[in-house]
Amino acid sequence: MQIKQDNKAEEKVPLFPKWSWWYWLVIGFLGLQILLFYFFTKHFA
Amino acid sequence: MNFSGLDWTVLVTTLVCIILYGVYKGRSSKKNLEGYFLSDRQMPWWVVLLSIMGTQASAVTFLTAPGQAYSDGMRFVQYYFGLPIAMVIVAFAFVPVFRRLKIFTAYEYLEQRFDVKTRLLTSSLFMLSRGLSTGISILAPSLVLHSMMGWDITITNLVMGGVLMIYTATGGAKAVGYTQQLQFVIIYVAMILAAIWAVKMLPEGVSFTDALHIGGKSGKLNVITTGVTEEGNFDWKDRFNIWSGIIGGLFLALSYFGTDQSQVGRYLTARTEGESKLGLLMNGLVKVPLQFFILLIGVLVFSFYQFYKAPAFFNLALEERVKQTEYASEYNGVVAEYNALQEDKRQTTIELAKALNNDDDQTINALRDKIQSQDKATHQSRKKVEAIVKKAVPGADSNDTNYVFVRFVGDFFPDGLVGLIIAIIFLAAWGSVAAALNSLASCTMVDFHKRLSKKELSPEKEYQWSRYYTLFWGIFCIVVAQFAYNLGTSLIEAVNILGSWFYGAILGIFLVAFYLKHVKGHAVFAAAVITEGVVIWVYNLDKFSWLWLNVVGAVGVVLFSLIIQAMIPAIKKAVKN
Repeated sequence: MQIKQDNKAEEKVPLFPKWSWWYWLVIGFLGLQILLFYFFTKHFA
Repeated sequence: MNFSGLDWTVLVTTLVCIILYGVYKGRSSKKNLEGYFLSDRQMPWWVVLLSIMGTQASAVTFLTAPGQAYSDGMRFVQYYFGLPIAMVIVAFAFVPVFRRLKIFTAYEYLEQRFDVKTRLLTSSLFMLSRGLSTGISILAPSLVLHSMMGWDITITNLVMGGVLMIYTATGGAKAVGYTQQLQFVIIYVAMILAAIWAVKMLPEGVSFTDALHIGGKSGKLNVITTGVTEEGNFDWKDRFNIWSGIIGGLFLALSYFGTDQSQVGRYLTARTEGESKLGLLMNGLVKVPLQFFILLIGVLVFSFYQFYKAPAFFNLALEERVKQTEYASEYNGVVAEYNALQEDKRQTTIELAKALNNDDDQTINALRDKIQSQDKATHQSRKKVEAIVKKAVPGADSNDTNYVFVRFVGDFFPDGLVGLIIAIIFLAAWGSVAAALNSLASCTMVDFHKRLSKKELSPEKEYQWSRYYTLFWGIFCIVVAQFAYNLGTSLIEAVNILGSWFYGAILGIFLVAFYLKHVKGHAVFAAAVITEGVVIWVYNLDKFSWLWLNVVGAVGVVLFSLIIQAMIPAIKKAVKN
């Protein structure tokens, strides 16, 4: 079975120079949230 | 429960608007497969984002999450910790492959990489699990109406599934995507209003922060938990902790977003590869905070009930049925015991609120221990109530988690807002069910009908068949909803357990496809079948929480594939001799 290939030119990454910046932003934000949730749990307990 | 004329007006107007909007938006799609299943690949990233979120957040999310926070605290949010990591992996590894190949379903890729039987097996596993879980998603809002208005569950299921199909079958993916966008806005506006109203109803002198302290001192703001028992052992059966959330949740989210056609079909509608990625990554940024917010509403409901009389059992319709049985006096006795315990706790909470206002740390600490032991006692009392319900009405769902938020809304919210909250439960259900029906139809049409049929179909005929398949799956899911009524466990878990049986294995097949280039179709097919048996065996052992089943499934397929592929030359040799 043949599947069509999409040969579009490389598109520009929004806001940042590379997609890897976006990936680190998402992972970093998760880490920050876990940290904040930890202090939130401690504070209100 | 009182459902006023204004509530009916708000409910009916909201639902009719969504249907009309869906039909209107869907009419401009091209009458071919690409138009029907992929919106002509013309969706901007924000529609993709809202569509992804609308597909994931079913009515179950909005029904059960506040109830879960009320009874078990906020630790359920940890279940979503693996999701942002999964979004990164899907954007990095899955999206470029799917976009480059211009496929309709994720399983098309498996035929190119392996063979047709692996494609059909994976597509079948998806259709089985998604068809069953969608039936449960139709049942969820029906249960709400059944409990609040005493409506017949069968008729409600039929109306719910039928109405939804009007725009799903006619408008395809475009109608699904645009209605999800509007649904999302209405849902979160309504949830914000619900949170504001919950805070507004707190007694005078009790602020939002006090309500959080009351929830926190009662152990409900347990956002981060480790799953380690008092003896220092890790509890593998603990459902929600940071480790099961990050590891188990990662595998679950990776399977769901990377290999489940109901999600793959959403981000394949994007205009470009970058917009597909952006929709997914933005979901990774906003999903955890939004889930945290919904759970926080449950804690506010809990804090509110510390000052007012909380029902011992939240499912109104079932409570009435229990009162008609021989167990009525036993039930009333336990409810009286529960009410007395509640009153003691109420007094402690009032003292705690005063101590919080005076910043009296010593009293606060003493009252915290007292309130936690009182909370345990009321929890035990509620368990006794559930046990009586189980005895009195055999086969009925004695777990009332799904009813906590709705009962609270019905008892205390003003006219109009009640109608809006009920409307968002419908909208959330429709959002996820519509996407599921669209994806089930796409797999049936593209992976089976088009692939296996010897007759070449015209684009118009393919479009027509796709609409018939959407209708077929709608009817199938309504039938499943009927059978699922007596499931006897929390709906949200039932949906996820079903997914966990198959998701891990499907993910394993894709991981082998992407990263183990030497493994061929026969090996991965056999590995998937063996692993499915192992997953069900592990589930039946009842020693692990269901989130870990995803890990077992994915790792199992990878390991068995490697072993079987290594054994193939020896097997061939043995057969030859």
